[in-house]
Amino acid sequence: MGLDADGAGAHPAAAAVARLAGADLVSGTRLARTVRQAEHAGLTFVSFTDALLPAVAGSPASARLESVTRAAFVSRTTTAIGLVPQVPTTYPEPFHVAAQLASLDIAASGRAGWLAAVTRDAATADAYGRTVVGDVSREARDVVQVVRDLWDSWEDDAVIRDVPTGRYIDRDRVHHVDFVGETFSVKGPLITPRPPQGQLVVLASDGDVRPALGRPGAPEAGGAERLVDVTLVGGSGVGTARGNATAAREHSPLAGVDLEVVLDAGGRTGADRLAVLDASTPAGVRSPWDTRALRYVGDAAGLVALLTELATPGPDGRRPVDGVRLLPAVLDVDLPVLARDVLPALRAARLVAAPRAGATLRESLGLPRPANRYETRVLADAPSA
Amino acid sequence: MTVPDRHPDVPVTRPDAQVHFGVFFQGVNHTTIWSDPESGSQTDFATFERVIRTAERGLFDAFFLGEGLRLRESRGALHDLDVVGRPDAITQLAALAAITTHIGLVATQNTTYNDPADLARRLQSLDVLSGGRAAWNVVTTDNAWTGANFRRGGYLDHALRYDRAQGQLDVARQIWDAFPDAGGSDAFSGTVAHVSEHSAMFDVELDPTTPRSPQGHPIIFQAGDSPQGRDFAAANADVIFSRHGAVLADALEFAADVRRRTVAAGRPEDDVKIFPGTGIIVGDTPADAEERARWVRWNQVSPATALSIVGNIWGEDLSGYDPDGPLPAHDPVVEELGGERGSATTGARTREVAARWRALAEAEHLSIRELVVRDSGERGFQGMPASVAEDLIRWVRTGAVDGFNISPWIVPSGLDDIVDRVVPELQERGAYPTSYTGTTLREHLGLRAPLTRRAAATAVGAA
Ligand SMILES: Cc1cc2nc3c(=O)[nH]c(=O)nc-3n(C[C@H](O)[C@H](O)[C@H](O)COP(=O)(O)O)c2cc1C
Repeated sequence: MGLDADGAGAHPAAAAVARLAGADLVSGTRLARTVRQAEHAGLTFVSFTDALLPAVAGSPASARLESVTRAAFVSRTTTAIGLVPQVPTTYPEPFHVAAQLASLDIAASGRAGWLAAVTRDAATADAYGRTVVGDVSREARDVVQVVRDLWDSWEDDAVIRDVPTGRYIDRDRVHHVDFVGETFSVKGPLITPRPPQGQLVVLASDGDVRPALGRPGAPEAGGAERLVDVTLVGGSGVGTARGNATAAREHSPLAGVDLEVVLDAGGRTGADRLAVLDASTPAGVRSPWDTRALRYVGDAAGLVALLTELATPGPDGRRPVDGVRLLPAVLDVDLPVLARDVLPALRAARLVAAPRAGATLRESLGLPRPANRYETRVLADAPSA
Repeated sequence: MTVPDRHPDVPVTRPDAQVHFGVFFQGVNHTTIWSDPESGSQTDFATFERVIRTAERGLFDAFFLGEGLRLRESRGALHDLDVVGRPDAITQLAALAAITTHIGLVATQNTTYNDPADLARRLQSLDVLSGGRAAWNVVTTDNAWTGANFRRGGYLDHALRYDRAQGQLDVARQIWDAFPDAGGSDAFSGTVAHVSEHSAMFDVELDPTTPRSPQGHPIIFQAGDSPQGRDFAAANADVIFSRHGAVLADALEFAADVRRRTVAAGRPEDDVKIFPGTGIIVGDTPADAEERARWVRWNQVSPATALSIVGNIWGEDLSGYDPDGPLPAHDPVVEELGGERGSATTGARTREVAARWRALAEAEHLSIRELVVRDSGERGFQGMPASVAEDLIRWVRTGAVDGFNISPWIVPSGLDDIVDRVVPELQERGAYPTSYTGTTLREHLGLRAPLTRRAAATAVGAA
């Protein structure tokens, strides 16, 4: 069970309705408090939705800080919860992205993930001073691939500190990745050693990072190479969401549902709150709150029932949905209800478990720590006969 | 280690000036004696945490991280003798911001392989999250070799790197100035300015998202020593991170040059602070300090490191040579250094260096390792805590520098002596603060408003 912890909440009018001043909206104090609440509530991870450009051009209420920086800031104020910044694959430099995320994983002792997202608007291309990327899927595939290559470019035990020979690293365990994609190439290796999880958990919205056919030389023999660990799907109802999740598991080990929530709170119904939020949505907002995500508006008990239904095994005995990422309309209003009334009920029903302090995000999600694709030691140690 | 010049006739021009300290956590170097059992991991968070907590306890102005975007190689193979592997600076500093309250956080970031919208936003995010403690140490790496890791590749002519740096900084400042000033009860009032820059090197248009921090802008540091680098600093920087931290006469000359350039750029002459990188080694007696310094220098240059350094100048693999034996009998085989990457040595200098080394080795009967220790040992201050404090004060009060950026020779314990023994000596002499007086880096350094905000500040002050 994850939660998006961006700004004042997921609804575009969240900041305005919560009357959060710009400085509070982005302050480190508020950020740390929100993520600590999420950790205490027993959530598995928080994501940090992000975009280079504001929701509303020119509006100070669209203030937002860069996501990896936010995640890093809370890495040492928390001990159990996963930290998943959204970082686009379309315009940022893949080498920087790989180093930043590896560094986040080190600071967070293995609790980092990456929500890899594509950017479709031309305005972002203008902000970078680049021409619009036409095939964002292909670019996403190349970028996720090279970032994963770079995370493996140091083997786990590359730092040997061998005093007799004076060698700090074993250069045979640090590799050029020599990646050549369609629009860019990267020599490698990364400047940062392999992160604690080996590979961060990569999340992506359904359709953003399409599976590629096996590259020549890819470590997986044939078939589709695993680029995404967790696919986030939407759906107009529980049935479609479950169907989308089942389909997504064809190409990623886990599938979760994005679920927007507007809960009854403070003596007002979720429906009333949503009406006020919708009516307060500023003019010129880049993406209004009618996304492809599943949506729940109502009381806590109803949300518990919905989540239980999502998690109920199908005829094959397997859960169709591995998890849910909650997108609360207004964090300061919805998170307390989630913490008090929703998560305890799910824990009691053994539908979710709070992450253990010190566990990696992979461990919390039941994902294995991957072997390094460049691992040479096994071969070197094998008897030559 | 060069003993600092204690020339008595250098006049004290700033009798009340205070000593300032920063700590430079180097990520790639042979300064750090990693072979010592006391040396910790260079990447574990605990190492950074211990260093920055010690520095903050010692009331340091700032904690610096360097940057290098490609691992060093010699003749096609990764350089494997020195500390290597480090976190991304801004990410690491954001994590450190949450566990500290006052110390400044300086990220070295180059202007060639970053996109201005992206970099300015990340720096400003750090500045906001830290409550106004961020700085950008501007460097200008331009080699095609580093470019091989980036979309844009090695596209920039050497001569253009400071043009690109200027453009990059201009865009960053527009982004940082775009939000209306913080304060006022309704922070949603006002409009965020649109940023538009269309020049030979940049073609960017955007609406920024990052509000101002309490210090207005991230502080600008500059590290680079060429005339263009100094002019860039004189026109733009709040602080120069210099190499002139070993010989007082040299530091004074550098300071005079920087002040001349600063005035020529239309700024008050004290507008750019000077912080040389340096090392400090203290002992209980002068002889003890001398002994420790010798030990440090010797251990910074392992036998393999000595052969590698000489091999770089000779342009060949000398690892088969005896480090305790003489320099190669033959002259360097290459005039231009093509293969050695990521080091400061430039091709034109190799023959010159080899000739100087040979003369020195012959005159003093030095082995390869002794020669390297003699010639390239880390320089700085050494002595008993009191005499080091007096030397540091002299440097500051003669106007040679404003502070020192200390590179510990071991991490994470390398600052302990300085904080526990040198800082109290400075405080006793009234030359070091006894508590932080502000919360922002701009306040620690006593800097004026950001360059692009001075007209606005004056207008507000007059109103
Ligand atoms: C004290 C000092 C520290 C430096 N640290 C870095 C660093 O961390 N990363 C980097 O790429 N360059 C670093 N540099 C290199 C300068 O940025 C380099 O000198 C510059 O790119 C070349 O400019 P110049 O020709 O003006 O000297 C440093 C330079 C100095 C003087």
